[in-house]
Amino acid sequence: MFLEIIDVSVSGLINGSIYSLMAVGLTLVYGVTKAFNFAYGSFYIFGGYFAWILLVQLGITGGYFSVFFAAVPVFFLVGYMLEKILISPLRKYDDWEMKVMMLTLGLALFMDFAFQAVFGPRVKSLPGLLEGTIEIGEMVLFQQDIGIFVLSISCMLGFGWVLNNTRTGMAVQAVAQNPMGAQIVGIPKNSIFAATFAISTIMVGLGGILLCQKNLIDPMGGTNIMIKAWVITAFGGMGSIRGSLYAAFILGMLEAFVGWYFGMIHVQIATLTLLLVTLAIRPQGLMGRE
Amino acid sequence: MGALPLFFGGTDYIMNILIMILIWAVVASCWDVIMGFAGIFSFGQVSFYVIGAYSSAILSVSLNIPPLFSIILAGIITGIFGVLVGLPCLRLAGPYVALVTFAVHMTLVPFLRGPLGRAIGSGGSQGILTIPPIELLGLSFSSDHLVSFFYLTLFLTIVFTLILVMVIKSYWGTAFLVLKDSENLAASLGISAFKYKLMVFALTSFITGLFGALYAHYVGMLSTKMLSMDVFTILMIMMVIGGIGKYPGVVIGAVITVTVNQLLAPLGMYRPLIMGAIVIILVLFLRDGVIGLIDRLISSQKKVSVDENSLKFVSKEE
Repeated sequence: MFLEIIDVSVSGLINGSIYSLMAVGLTLVYGVTKAFNFAYGSFYIFGGYFAWILLVQLGITGGYFSVFFAAVPVFFLVGYMLEKILISPLRKYDDWEMKVMMLTLGLALFMDFAFQAVFGPRVKSLPGLLEGTIEIGEMVLFQQDIGIFVLSISCMLGFGWVLNNTRTGMAVQAVAQNPMGAQIVGIPKNSIFAATFAISTIMVGLGGILLCQKNLIDPMGGTNIMIKAWVITAFGGMGSIRGSLYAAFILGMLEAFVGWYFGMIHVQIATLTLLLVTLAIRPQGLMGRE
Repeated sequence: MGALPLFFGGTDYIMNILIMILIWAVVASCWDVIMGFAGIFSFGQVSFYVIGAYSSAILSVSLNIPPLFSIILAGIITGIFGVLVGLPCLRLAGPYVALVTFAVHMTLVPFLRGPLGRAIGSGGSQGILTIPPIELLGLSFSSDHLVSFFYLTLFLTIVFTLILVMVIKSYWGTAFLVLKDSENLAASLGISAFKYKLMVFALTSFITGLFGALYAHYVGMLSTKMLSMDVFTILMIMMVIGGIGKYPGVVIGAVITVTVNQLLAPLGMYRPLIMGAIVIILVLFLRDGVIGLIDRLISSQKKVSVDENSLKFVSKEE
């Protein structure tokens, strides 16, 4: 019983670390550009297929190291183009927020079914990051799990460093705090919007590469991930990076324990209940500002 | 439209399309009232539709309630559910509402398929297969009796469209216009945003649930496939084609979308892919939907000597 609880907590921590990567990406996009991206989950699946093509189809040398190396520029470009071609033309309308939601929802549908058409409806599996286990006393830890945890935490720290120490990162923060003020001091707002979109796409893509090793790649799985990331973001407070970090670990744990105790089918119901209760008590989320 | 069955009475395919157009037109109009007039980013319209359909089906199959009453009960249940969802979420800012209502949608699938849903008679992943037809005055209304069902749907569509139009034109509609322009002004006039939003949420979910129930008794079987993204997108395309908040536009959107969707049916799994692409293209290039297009055509004919750009400049100066 005790060992099982430890096991469940470990899987909760690992889920939490990857969710935090994805939720922070989403928070960043919402906090900076105020765009509501419904296709977010589809980019997670895209990350999974990206790794699958490189590792299984092409058998690239260097394994996951090369995949990560290739993923960063590819996802940056995809995210950048997405914002430039699809989102930024909508900004001139009054009700652009609603239009962006509708457009990204259409994009999600398009991407999900395009994946299904190209890769087939059956789920695919990725090879593990690391093989083997570590034994501490009676406890057995998978090296893969530890690898995923370490990688996603270091990705988070890396993005944190980029945001706080580079000129682009600081410009992103400036636009988030005051778009007009940022423009006055000469920060190109539109490029920053696109860059933020690109960074968040990298985050969710890396999250897909990491998490798809544990969960299989399902062409229709994007919506679930998107909902999860949104629940975390709303729970933590929209636009609050620290809030979504906490929320990701809380929900990762909740999911692991509810799935273990009541069965996986109740996970979504428990998540929604938690979200509704939180929002009823604190409409701005855990750490959000009014 | 009422005379169409006289010509198409024998053609089941076209009758089916006409009935679906009528049902979807009302459901989409309700969504337009929520999104366009009340300004609530609700993404729960399909879930209300499905809740209505399932409650009427469960009531009539498990409890043997005559469909005529179960449909009305289903509307009331959906209305209550709408209030329950609205209570926590209508105080929230725009994107939160979208998220919560969409999460409700996503939660319905595991709920209806899981043990909880089976306990209340949802039939699990198989769905409900034997929903009785509506019986009234010795007549039977279902997919086996297309013409009579068409007239029943037409009657209900007209009644509820009139109710929606009355709401838009009434004090409520004006209140929403004020709320949308300036919530502070509205508050100073004593208009409570929350109260009006909750009222409109209850009304539209009642109507949506009623038409969901109507659909359930029309097709005679239900499954959780109704909650797929596909259906959601179809409803959204109606809004995009019609234009958000341009009321009769969404009805035109329903006519076009249902027809095109039926024509695309032979494409199988490529249909949702094409629907997704259509949404992207329409959002990018069709600014205010069909109504906006017509408006611009009319205004470009009227414009004789006034340059639009100079007008914009003047209004900005003020």
